[in-house]
Amino acid sequence: MKVLVTVKEVAAVEDEFEIDGTAIDEAYLEYDLNEWDDYAIEEGVQISESEDDVEVVSVTIGPERSEETIRMALAKGADRAVRVWDDSLEDAEMLDVEAKTNLLAAVVEEEEPDLVLSGVQADDDGFGATGVSLADEVGFEWAAVVNDLELDVEGGVASVRRELEGGVEELTDVDLPAVLTIQTGINEPRYASLRGIRQAQRKEIKPMTLDDLGLSADVAESDLEIVDMYEPETESDATLFEGSPDETAGQLAEVLRDGGVGQ
Amino acid sequence: MLDYVGLEADLGEEERLIRDTARDFVEDKVRPDIADHWQDATFPTEIIEEMGALGFYAPNLDGYDLPNVSEKAYGLLMQELEACDSGVRSMASVQGALVMYPIHAFGSDAQKDEWLPKLGHGEAVGCFGLTEPNHGSNPSAMETHAEADGDGYVLNGSKTWITNSPIADVAVVWAKDRSDDENPVRGFLVETDKAGVTTNKIDDKLSLRASITGEIALDDVHVDADDVLPHVRGMKGPLSCLTQARFGIAWGAVGAAQDCFETALEYATDREQFGQPIGGFQLQQRKLAEMATQITNAQLLAHRLADLKERGDLRPQHVSMAKRNNVRMARETAKTAREMLGGNGITGDYSPMRHMANIETVYTYEGTHDIHTLILGEDLTGIAAFE
Repeated sequence: MKVLVTVKEVAAVEDEFEIDGTAIDEAYLEYDLNEWDDYAIEEGVQISESEDDVEVVSVTIGPERSEETIRMALAKGADRAVRVWDDSLEDAEMLDVEAKTNLLAAVVEEEEPDLVLSGVQADDDGFGATGVSLADEVGFEWAAVVNDLELDVEGGVASVRRELEGGVEELTDVDLPAVLTIQTGINEPRYASLRGIRQAQRKEIKPMTLDDLGLSADVAESDLEIVDMYEPETESDATLFEGSPDETAGQLAEVLRDGGVGQ
Repeated sequence: MLDYVGLEADLGEEERLIRDTARDFVEDKVRPDIADHWQDATFPTEIIEEMGALGFYAPNLDGYDLPNVSEKAYGLLMQELEACDSGVRSMASVQGALVMYPIHAFGSDAQKDEWLPKLGHGEAVGCFGLTEPNHGSNPSAMETHAEADGDGYVLNGSKTWITNSPIADVAVVWAKDRSDDENPVRGFLVETDKAGVTTNKIDDKLSLRASITGEIALDDVHVDADDVLPHVRGMKGPLSCLTQARFGIAWGAVGAAQDCFETALEYATDREQFGQPIGGFQLQQRKLAEMATQITNAQLLAHRLADLKERGDLRPQHVSMAKRNNVRMARETAKTAREMLGGNGITGDYSPMRHMANIETVYTYEGTHDIHTLILGEDLTGIAAFE
């Protein structure tokens, strides 16, 4: 069985930053493994530890710098990795969901995984759509926002629990091959051990260009355009109660009453 | 943390991943409760196996499922652990540099096979018995001794200031072999559940409180001939272990100081008096500038030491210089940072005073500051002041 885990290097913004045109100035960005993808990696590695003959392949779309991020996936137990990048991707202002879908679909075609795990969303651009869009493109079954996974490898079924709005949870059986988008909290991601980090140095990160994937440069073209980037006005609506506990409790009760809470 | 001249920007990918792993682990698992442990004089024992699983013990050694990372990566690990608390770094230093290192360097294959995997994974805890109640800076005058007895030896004596002795499964005990004409110091692996071994805990420490310290009393303790470390005789044995551990201390002291600096900087930019952040006043800026400069100097020395160690050119005197300088720097930095925090700085809510108290131990153990001064004096003049 082969599990493909998609990972993304996301940008984290420092507390103080400046906007340069339609992007945040590079000087204020730090890069890290996307939080949701960390849970997806852990889920993939746990499958490989509990089932026989499971290969976990990690894939990322990103420049050379992102090797450090994908190396972290290898250090945590993924067997090998694929990094997709190309000059024409470097030049693109933004890789939208459609572009990523097409790139990852080409990798899925190449790798033929039984299961694709992706994070629910990316911490930076937050489209939250790539996993499901990929499933649609490659014709896989899918389940989004998965917070529990039981895998029946022989039967080819993933029994998943999905987190819906309002505290409702849904149990679904999904036939493989499938794409599951993994929610935080599904497991407890491990730290990369020093042994794992050492071993990761000997694992393969295969670079793939658009040519390698049989795609042309127009894959990066997008119908979306970022037209503006700005900091929203922040409105502070905090009320500070002052006085003794008796007085402040009374003031709080009044606010709650006015707000329609209680009688 | 402070890295003013960007030394860590030049790290290799592996070293950076190791630093980040250590930093994340400490941040999530150790830092939240460390002040409470310090107040309660307890060590967070649940992290002993976790640190083993992560490969934090003797990661710079090879074989026996040890990671064999670079000396710089090992140093960075010590830096990150001590940024949390000197007690946490001490745990890793003792287990790795003082227990696993001598077994790795001087042990038999059977000793290595038995102990290194268990110690490396934190499934067993080790301690190192050199210092005695009456012999601190001059360990070569030790009284603890071994007498040949049947198929082994009988050990008698007492050791003190032994990190982790009350929780240890095995002690590396250094003792004089009286059955040998030259009366050499030899290393013995003593399992602490043996008859005649007691490991009393030392209470009421005012420093390194989040670390378990004790004694080792040896009263007619029988050990097998196989329990002697076969490949070392004389003070070279314990002293070479201490060189390994002091290398870690030189790095750890940078971490403790960086944590003090970051705490003071954040406080100075938040805390307002006289209508502006106190960091806007010249007196505070001078303190910050001085701390940052001294930390950077110490960091440079630590990085240089790692390069020398990696290529085999590191001398014990280099390590003495770095231990001496960097711990003194951390001592000054912790004190200055505490001062900048005003009254708030005397509470457990902020790390500098905890570091400040801890550093008194670090300043004293593994060769006191003064003894390292004399080692450098001897190296520079060729005249030993302590003989």
